[in-house]
Order: sequence, then structure tokens, then C-alpha cells
Amino acid sequence: MLGYILRRLVSVAVTFIVVSLIIFLMMHSIPGGPFDANDMPVSEAVRAKLMAQLGLDQPLYVQYFRYMWGVLHFDFGVPYQSPGETVLQLLSRAWVPSLVLGGLGVLIGAPLGILLGMAAALNRNSWIDYIASALATLGLTVPVFVTSMLLILIFAVWLNWLPASGWPDPERWILPVAAYAAIPLATYARYTRAAMLDTMSRQFVTVLRAKGLSERRIIFQHVLRNSAIPLVTVFLPMFIGTATGSIFVEAMFRVPGLGAYFVSSIEVRDYPLEMALMLMITFMYCIAYLLSDVVYALINPRIRIGGAE
Amino acid sequence: MPLVEIQDLKVRFRQYGGTIEAVRKISFSLDAGESLGIVGESGSGKSVSCAALLRLLPATADVTAAKLMLDDVDVLSARKGDMERLRGRAAAMIFQDPMSAFDPVFTIGHQISETIRAHRTVTKSAALKEARELLERVEIKNAADVLAYYPHQLSGGMLQRAMIAMALSCRPKVLIADEPTTALDVTIQAQILQLIKKVQAEFGMALIMITHDLGVIAETVDRVLVMYNGEVMEEGPVAQIFDAPRHDYTKRLLASLHTKFEPSRGDADAAPALQLRGLSKSFRIRRRRGLFTEYGAFDAVRDVDITLPHNRIVAVVGESGSGKTTTGLMAMRLTEASAGEILVDGKDISSLSPEAMRPYRKQMQIVFQDSYSALDPMMTLTEIIAEPLVIHRIGTPRERTEKALAWLERVGLDRSFGSRYAHELSGGQRQRVAIARALILEPKILVADEPTSALDVTVKAQIITLLKDLQAELGLSMLFISHDLSTVKSLTDSVVVMYRGRVVEEAPTERIFADPRHPYTRALLDAVPATNPRDKRERSFLSAEEISAATPRMTVIQTGLAPHPDPQLVTIAPGHRVEAIVTA
Repeated sequence: MLGYILRRLVSVAVTFIVVSLIIFLMMHSIPGGPFDANDMPVSEAVRAKLMAQLGLDQPLYVQYFRYMWGVLHFDFGVPYQSPGETVLQLLSRAWVPSLVLGGLGVLIGAPLGILLGMAAALNRNSWIDYIASALATLGLTVPVFVTSMLLILIFAVWLNWLPASGWPDPERWILPVAAYAAIPLATYARYTRAAMLDTMSRQFVTVLRAKGLSERRIIFQHVLRNSAIPLVTVFLPMFIGTATGSIFVEAMFRVPGLGAYFVSSIEVRDYPLEMALMLMITFMYCIAYLLSDVVYALINPRIRIGGAE
Repeated sequence: MPLVEIQDLKVRFRQYGGTIEAVRKISFSLDAGESLGIVGESGSGKSVSCAALLRLLPATADVTAAKLMLDDVDVLSARKGDMERLRGRAAAMIFQDPMSAFDPVFTIGHQISETIRAHRTVTKSAALKEARELLERVEIKNAADVLAYYPHQLSGGMLQRAMIAMALSCRPKVLIADEPTTALDVTIQAQILQLIKKVQAEFGMALIMITHDLGVIAETVDRVLVMYNGEVMEEGPVAQIFDAPRHDYTKRLLASLHTKFEPSRGDADAAPALQLRGLSKSFRIRRRRGLFTEYGAFDAVRDVDITLPHNRIVAVVGESGSGKTTTGLMAMRLTEASAGEILVDGKDISSLSPEAMRPYRKQMQIVFQDSYSALDPMMTLTEIIAEPLVIHRIGTPRERTEKALAWLERVGLDRSFGSRYAHELSGGQRQRVAIARALILEPKILVADEPTSALDVTVKAQIITLLKDLQAELGLSMLFISHDLSTVKSLTDSVVVMYRGRVVEEAPTERIFADPRHPYTRALLDAVPATNPRDKRERSFLSAEEISAATPRMTVIQTGLAPHPDPQLVTIAPGHRVEAIVTA
């Protein structure tokens, strides 16, 4: 197991380097730069000075290695959009709202989705199943900005129960968290229903019944444990996807989160921030998949304990 | 008061667009300690009836009966909790595929002890101790280790033993065995059947043996129920069923046990149609060691020589893992051999390019075991059968279709089947289509890889007859791969026995049955179930250690040959070779 984790960490490092190269090259291959004349009307001399100051006059490979050398020392540079702070400061400031709201969305949505999926699977083809499936389909098909608008319209405008903005006080969190929760809830409801139905159709469940085990024990010990195996693996990647903020949800609820920077850093050619965001996401996904695979192996004896005698 | 009493049981399955009558009307009873066999083909309702007795059927099943009693409890009206108490204690079941009968994420020990604890209040450690004793009673030697094993760590035979131990754990009054050996190799099947008989006597249980295999019936039960299409055709003592069957279906079933064929007439002098020389296959296996990967080799087939004369049928017999299928695939060049030659009419094809192989592909065809996955579900039967003609650019589309339809008739299907799809057919019908597709190019060599092992007995006999007829008509040379010695006996001219990737014995068919020399061949023959209850016998098995040992016992032979420490294939009579250690 340890050897496996080590090998995976090596592959994470390789992925990291490859992705950083691709992003860096793509970023610079888009025509234009941060100090183009129409965006920033400064004199030629000032622009040259600025470029030199930021190292943008150097050949690309020098820029790349400089940046990556910095990354190794946790120096991600200074964002062009907000020169008063470092990229790290900006990230740690802006990520908090995203992490709180998105994270809560997953932590609330996923368990609810599992419960909904279980209820659907245990009452297959009943009205519970149909309602659960309809909810799950809605959650997956309705775009999150529509969900957000509906939530604002209903709970803030019509009912006037909750504020329309989503930060900073906890009572303001409710609506954006609900918007974030929709997708994990829907995904988990579908996955859980499918996994449980699949497990329940397997022969060993008939055997468990034939042994005289109670239905409750069969469901809660055997069916759930087997169904959990595929569910565990989707959790972490989903958490990371959601907890890094959605530009739509954050724009709707005026949350000063990370989401907006994903777009703005590309728009204004904020190279250091863009690189930092992409590397961060890459790194987190790599680790998330690594952890998922480790957990998968731990709960699945077929992987944990190798082959047949 | 009988232990089981069933009167006028009917089971219907509701499904989209109507209902299916799985059990039309059956009645039977079973006394304590009695052994009853229920024999019938798939879809005859034999398993469904027993599942109904324990109320294990899905919610889509409508079960009605004048009487459905198990151990004095009315199953139809019993409450849920009462049913749970009844299951496992009044009647316990063992199932066909032991691999899928255990929950993969819990240990064997957990699953046996949880059964004990579901019915009795005992501590976990006491239940585990009992589980261990049960494993010992089903002759598992390392019972303490097996308790901590997960199902995937055990072989099919061992798992079926553990399954029996689990079934015994609540001292059931009747053991219902639903095709308990169908998924197992012949030698393992014989051991499991013997074990079931033994524990039945020791625990004083009644037994219901559900099977499609008359041999299993002959070996294990006193009374037989013959089912067909959801109804009981015939019922009686086992000897009467075998010696004086009254119903036509029973007679057909019995006849399928004794199919006889004319031996094929080949020309012994001519060059063989197909000759495999020193054929080997080793698979590379990766083993992880920390950051590095080590490569090892697994020899699936080792140095195999097989000769297939023109117009003959040669059987390649062996159990799972013996390398027989790999050998067949290599002979067809569907799997590349690691070493060795494949001679077709004396020409080595083992290293021909795909282009150069084309004319040979036309002469060599294969029929697989699983007809369902061997036929493209998106193509009509005509398209499937005509496809080889398309590939080899033979004829116009109209001629191809006509020829395909003619072949449909030739394999015993109506021309109207041409526009159907594979899923609309039964297993036997699909296998007929696969045969038509293989033979439409009129090949010289046919490899038949277990073509009947997924089929019901009567259907199996029909397919074998069809293959034999076509072989004689077309003068085919056929390599018939099988694990089933009884099929081989009536069909083939000579037999090659494979064990762990090697040929261990080879002889004309009569000779191998009359005078088997290699201990493994003897064990295989010994394991074949009796075809009549009168022929039941005690068996001597290769022990578990011998089965798992890298080299099984060898016949030691004194010949004029130079002595050799490694086992050699030695010719002991014309056409009869056996692997043995040659001593001075």
C-alpha cells in the first residue's frame, strides 16, 4: 500500500509538471498581454518598464522556470489585478467564502442525496421513487444560476424570509448553500439508487434472505456496505469541484469568493493568479483522486487483499 | 406430518406486457430425512418452486397454492418475522454459483457466524468457534484461516464447502441444493456431491436436490420429480425413473445420456489436417515491488503436441485452468503462441502475416461456448451467418442471403428466423446459428470450444448430434474442447487430456475410457456421475493437496528409454501416450 501511494505521488508530480506546462503555454499563446494599449493606455516606455519589472520581457522558458522556481518556494507572485497583496494572500482571502459555502453545500447535499437515493431504491417504482428521480433529474439538468435565481426570487423577494446576498453572516449562507447542494444531492440520489438496486439484485442478497437474516440487517449491513464502495469514490472530486466556488452562484449572491477570479484572471491576463489557480485545482484533484483510490482499496477487500489463493 | 407439503402451487411473474407462468401446478411432499430430486431444464420451474417455499421470490411473483407448508408453518400466510425464523432453520439453501453467493466485503467467518447469531443468542466468539467446527465438518483443513478469508480468496470448490457449512449452521431440517455443482469442475463436483450425502446422513436432514443433470440425481436421491414447463411430468423412486420411465420427456432425458455415434472414418496415412507442435503460451504477470515492477511468467500452455487427422474428431479435455481453451485459440491464431508450430496440411502458419493468413482463416473456424456474447446483438441472423461470405468477398448480396437461409435450414432452424435477432432465440438455437456461421465457408477444420456446456441436457444432445452429422457430411476435422467426459465418449475418435497446461495423456477414445493410465485421467473418469443409480460407487479422489500440487502423481514407467528425472510423454501403445517418469 505504501509503495502504491509513493508511486501515485510520483505520478502526481509528473501530472503537475505536464499540466503547468500546458497551462503556461496556452496562457501565453493567446494573442495580447496584460498591458495592451486599449486596456491600459500608458506610454511605450512605461509599458516596457512594467514588462521588465514583471519579467515579461524574458524568453518564455525563463519565465516558466522562474515562476515554477517560485512555486517550489510557495511564492506564486503578485496578482496584476490586485498588486497590494501576494497571490497567496488573495487566495487565502477569497477562498474562505467559497470553501464555507461550497463545502457546506456538498456536506449537506451528499447525505441528503444518499437518503433520497436509499428511499427511492427501497421503494422502487413507488411514488417515493418517482419523486426522488424527478428531483434528481431537476437537480442535474437545471443550471445552477437558474436554481440561484429561483431561490432568491422565492425566499428573498416573494417570501422575504432570507437576505438575497450570501456573505458574510451565517443567516446569509442558507440560500447559496442550498444552491450549491442541488448538484451533490441530485448526483448522490442517482448514484445511491443505482448502486443499491444493483446490489439488491445480486445473488448473495437472496442467500442472506435464505439464511433467515432480517431485512433491516440485510439492507443496513450488507447492501449499504457494498453500495458504498462506488459512492465513496465520487465524494472527494465532487467536494473539490464545489468547494472552489462557482462563478454563477457567487455572482448571484454577491459572494466575494474564488469563483470570479477563474474568469477575471484570464480576461485581464493576470498570469501569476491564473497559473496559481490552475495549479491549485490540478493539485487538489490529483490528491482527491489519490485519496479516493486509497479509500476504495481500503473498503474493498478484493483490492486490499489481492488475488485468490 | 410431512416436513414439506406443497399442493397445487402456481407461480406467475407479472412483467411488462403480461404475465409468465413459471409454475403451472405442482404438488409434492417431503418427509423428514428423505432425499428428493427435482430434475428439469432451465425454465422448468424447479428453482422457482423451492424459492416459493421459502418465500424468496421477488415482489413481481404471484404465488398461489392450496397448501404450502414448511415444518408445520403455512408459508403463504406466515408473518415476516416468522418467515425469517423459518429460513435457515427449517430449510437452508445452497446455490449454483458459490462465487456470487457470498457477500464480497465480509469474511467467511463473519458470514457464517452472523447466520448463527441471527437464529440463536450466542456471543460472537462462540459463534466463530462454531463456524470453525462447521468448516472442519465440511472437510476444510485450514478452517481457522478460512474464517478470516474473504470470498475471493477461495476457489469455487472451497467456497461451495463453506456455503454448505453456512447452510448447516442452524441445523436445518431440510437442505435445498439448487444446482450446487453446475458451476464446478467435474472432479470438484464429485467431491461436493459426496460431501452433501455425508452431511445429510450426519445431520439427519432431508434433501431436495434441484438439478438438470440426471447423473447428479442418480448419485444423490431416493425419489425423483421430473419437471417440464412448470409442471410435474413424472414422479417416482429413482430406480423406477431410470429403469422404467413412463413419460416421453423422461425418456428423452435419459436418451440424452446415451447418445451413440458411428466413428468417423479418416485417412490415417495422409498428412494431418492440423498439427500443433511444441505449442506454448506464457503470460507475463506484473508484480509490484515498492516503486518497481517485476515481471514473472505464467505458463498457461506448455509444449503441447496435438495431431488432428483429416475427417476426425479429437477431444481436448481438461478442467478450468488446464489451458485447453488457450490451446484452441492458439491453433486458430486468435491468440498468438509464445512458441511452437501450427501446421495446417503440413504448412506452418504460426508466423504468417494477417494477409497471408486470410486463405487459412477460410479453412479454419471456431464455435464458442457462450453463444450469447458470440453473436452481434445488432445484426439479424441472416447478416450474422452471411458475414463470413462478406469478409471473404464471396458471391453477390442476394447469393449470400440465399446461402445463409439455406444454412439456417441445414442447422435445423426455419428460414423465417433469418430476420430475427440473437436475443430472440434460446441458447440451443443461438448455438445452431453460431455453427451455421462457422460452417458457411465450408472450412476443413473446426474448433468447437465447449459448444454445449451452457445448454440443457436434451438440447445438448441435439447440438452434439448436429455437429456430428455436419462433421460427417462435410468431412470436417474437428477439435472438440470440453470438460465433460461423457459428451466426449460418444462423439470423438481420440482424447487428449490436459492438466495445468500440459498434455498428460492421449489415446483413442475407447482406450482412454478402458485403460486410463495417468492418475489425473483416472480421477477425471472416476468423477463422472453414474448414469444409473445402480452404478453409484465409492470414489477415490485426488486429494486437495494433490490437486494443488505443481506436479501430480506420475505413473512410473520402465521402458527401454533412457531414464529422465522430469516427466516425459511416453508411448505405451499405438496412439496412447502418457506423461510419466521414466526409470531405468
